[in-house]
Amino acid sequence: MFTSAGFAKTWQYIQLFKEGLICTLSLSALTVLFGFIFALILALMRMSKIKPLSWFATCYVELFRATPMLVQLFIVYYVVFAKASLPNFKLFGFIRFERFFPGVVALSMNSGAYLSEIIRAGIQSIDHGQTEASRSLGLSSRQTLFDIVLPQAIKNILPAIANEFVTIIKESSICYTIGVQEIMYAVASIKGATYRIAEPLLIATAVYFCLTFPTSKIIAYFERRMSRGFKR
Amino acid sequence: MASNAELIKVTGLCKHFYNGELKALDGVDYSINKGDVVVVIGPSGSGKSTFLRCLNLLEVPTSGEVVFKGVDITKKYYTDKNGNKVRLNIDEHRRKMGMVFQHFNLFPHMTVLENMTLAPIKVKKMAKDEAEKKAKKLLKRVGLGDRADAYPIQLSGGQKQRVAIVRALMMEPEVMLFDEPTSALDPEMVGEVLEVIRELATTGMTMVIVTHEMGFAKEVGKKIVFMADGKIVETGSPEEIFDNPQSPRLQDFLKKVL
Repeated sequence: MFTSAGFAKTWQYIQLFKEGLICTLSLSALTVLFGFIFALILALMRMSKIKPLSWFATCYVELFRATPMLVQLFIVYYVVFAKASLPNFKLFGFIRFERFFPGVVALSMNSGAYLSEIIRAGIQSIDHGQTEASRSLGLSSRQTLFDIVLPQAIKNILPAIANEFVTIIKESSICYTIGVQEIMYAVASIKGATYRIAEPLLIATAVYFCLTFPTSKIIAYFERRMSRGFKR
Repeated sequence: MASNAELIKVTGLCKHFYNGELKALDGVDYSINKGDVVVVIGPSGSGKSTFLRCLNLLEVPTSGEVVFKGVDITKKYYTDKNGNKVRLNIDEHRRKMGMVFQHFNLFPHMTVLENMTLAPIKVKKMAKDEAEKKAKKLLKRVGLGDRADAYPIQLSGGQKQRVAIVRALMMEPEVMLFDEPTSALDPEMVGEVLEVIRELATTGMTMVIVTHEMGFAKEVGKKIVFMADGKIVETGSPEEIFDNPQSPRLQDFLKKVL
């Protein structure tokens, strides 16, 4: 299964893993950023008193949680961006933007649906008395949301957001199917060049593990710290 | 001290829940003048808190009027002095009414000082150092001069409520609404909070206080309002209400609580 010759061959292409790592990290980071902003908008829409807005957000969330990520990715890449001519420059000198960008969009749309439910739960977990106190002082509903409710809500859901980050790192591997040069793409390339599969896969496993395991440990640490002092 | 200018006038105020199945307020009429200290008493579920919360529209009444300084704040539009139709901005009116809650509702993610200066800075556009100076002065007045940088979690219930009171005072309201300010406190902390309210009463602040503390009601209240089943049953001076109750409902209530 694993041979030292196989590792030696794979090692010649280690540069591909380095690139894959950079690509996976940027893909995940951008997805968390855009996904969070999008999720915030979705959550506010869903809690809105304007019926069409909340109706749209509800449908969106249900649809994206009930369909496979792969289907969503393919629809975004092959259908939505089929006619769009994206600029074909290379990020960091190797990441093909016209593939990378649809990947970010699809992942953000998907994680936005999940994150919006987390944010909504976070906002609803804040005691209504907080809103009442703020409004009674003359702050507007907007100021109340951004100065009083959201800071508390986000602090409460930070662990859940961080867990979503770990999930995104793992799920981003699916973008290899549309040719985004992340870690799994490196595995496929090396397999094509060396006819070895077990060794590249083992390395990919190790890389993913090294990314996600410390992340979740750090999250757990902060989770414990936060539940100690600050909670009421 | 107490001029007779009418500050708040409530007419036909109703608040129904569950499509009218529960009538928390069932036609309340009352006027509050400048400098009044009105204490609202009555059994649980009589609509005292709902009445108070309707005054600054935290509870939107089902029907009726709440006229604050000549403006009916339950309507979307009002006519100003020049006869123009103006869209009502409820926030503008709320900042003239301070409110103190049973459960304090301090903002846990802010220090005492930040709790107090948030609204003046954000709403009144007061300079930060000016707001902080004012806040520290008020804190000193209620005996909390050394707790400006503490977080609410580090305070006792009585301290929290005192902070909540001065937080409301920061906006220099024209009326203070107290919604059972001592009901969530341990007995030994009730005194310190009542002391602050008592002192406030002597400054001529207009106040509406919902409370279960009958002794305090009798002492501080200039006018007592007795509510039951969503209606005002009897009003009068403390002497009239406590020493010479007229309605059987009030006589019964006093027998139970005194």
